[in-house]
Amino acid sequence: MQVVVFEDAKFDNLYPLTYMRPTFMLKCGHTMLYEKIVRRFKGTKVTYIVRAMIAAFMKEKMGSDVINNANQIKSEDTLFVNGALLLTADIKLELNGGEEIAVAANGDVIYARANKATVAKAYDADITKMLSNLKTALKKAVSEAYLVEWPWNLVQKNPFAIEDDFKVIGKGGVIEGNLHPMASVLGDKKNLYIAKGADVQPFVCIDVTAGPVIIDEDVTVFPFTRIEGPNAVGKKTQLFGTNLRTGSSIGPVCRVGGEVEDAIIHGHSNKYHDGFLGHAYLCEWVNLGAMTTNSDLKNDYGPVSLIVKGELMDTGDGKVGCFIGDHTKTSIGTLLNTGTMVGMMSNVVGNGGVAPKYIPSFSWMMNDRFFKAQKSMETAKYAMGRRKCAMGVEEEKYILALKDMLKEDVKYWVRKTTVL
Amino acid sequence: MDIAAVEAKVIEVVVKVLKISADKVVPKAHFVKDLGADSFASIELVAAFEVAFDIEMEEDAALSVKNVGDAVKFIKKACDEQGK
Repeated sequence: MQVVVFEDAKFDNLYPLTYMRPTFMLKCGHTMLYEKIVRRFKGTKVTYIVRAMIAAFMKEKMGSDVINNANQIKSEDTLFVNGALLLTADIKLELNGGEEIAVAANGDVIYARANKATVAKAYDADITKMLSNLKTALKKAVSEAYLVEWPWNLVQKNPFAIEDDFKVIGKGGVIEGNLHPMASVLGDKKNLYIAKGADVQPFVCIDVTAGPVIIDEDVTVFPFTRIEGPNAVGKKTQLFGTNLRTGSSIGPVCRVGGEVEDAIIHGHSNKYHDGFLGHAYLCEWVNLGAMTTNSDLKNDYGPVSLIVKGELMDTGDGKVGCFIGDHTKTSIGTLLNTGTMVGMMSNVVGNGGVAPKYIPSFSWMMNDRFFKAQKSMETAKYAMGRRKCAMGVEEEKYILALKDMLKEDVKYWVRKTTVL
Repeated sequence: MDIAAVEAKVIEVVVKVLKISADKVVPKAHFVKDLGADSFASIELVAAFEVAFDIEMEEDAALSVKNVGDAVKFIKKACDEQGK
């Protein structure tokens, strides 16, 4: 029996977060979606199905044998799991148990369990066709599992996912690292895990009364930081006098200061300075300049709308911040409106006013006008080099292909805002 | 578009973007040293040329153009290649 985590055709609902990663590599809680699946089925072979365009990059990143490996997929009885599944401990999902398929109310496949013969018959390189074949072949099962469909879903579910990760990791009350005697913990220490190598310095306050806090390996929490659970701080992250309010997942290898609430920050992204980040999602290698601030609540307390796939969409949620793609940078003093979508490899220059609610990928935004990004690849490589990371050959090719795919979007916004 | 028309339009765009008088926009005028185009203005100029001529220009190559005369040649070539 094997597990195949698949990315279905709805990955573009999650742009710009999924430009540089498959759906299952989105972060929710302390871990990425796929890590929760791998953890549940520890010891079982897991491979992945991703969109064709990102496959070579993912093969470079994860290994060619585990990505879109048709021979492997057809070789065993298989549990197919949707990579958008938020697999928390309360969700029933068995490796063995007979052939069946669980389909959400909107038709999305949550999981499918099929024997080798059924898999071989249903297999198609087109994931949508294969899922359709499996729907035809398998008996229906009921599942209450949650599939992430839109970017803000990840932020909404993050506090719950942190609490779930904390329980599953099972190290509540364990202090392996350094908790300075002049740091204070409010609440029951069973709600706190400090991993080895972590250093919590004096005058840090960790409040676990409302939820657990995970401080992972080699994290440094500098003085005057306040952490309010639920919260998860990833490996090698540094917190600089941060007011880290509830519901955030950060890191690994981030540098974070200022006020942060209900935000998900992928690895190697920095928000070093003061400024508020709330109900937000930052992809990898993002840098927010000093005093960059986003709004996550409208002054009329109404539901927040934002641009998804070119259309303004009502989230139905009153607390929605910003979503920022990989390698994007903001300048000092950038102000982001409630529900702002910022693409990847963009440069947002604040001018004292609030930036537009949509900033395309591979663009520069200055004085409310858009321009094609300059030297974005060089900047990305330089930023990675500073952290002793290197851009892969396939990664670079993929980014260039994305740039080409998105060039009409940039062109549209450049022309719309260039007045002669 | 012939070279004279390209030159006339280039001058028109430079005057508007850099807010300078047309008599300064001569072929040998250096965008930075003579016309005061800083890095932001240079990016604005590239965007404005693309819109004015309805062409696409490779950013790095376009930004490497130093004076008005070379810009006219660069844009003329882009117009010819892109059928404008």
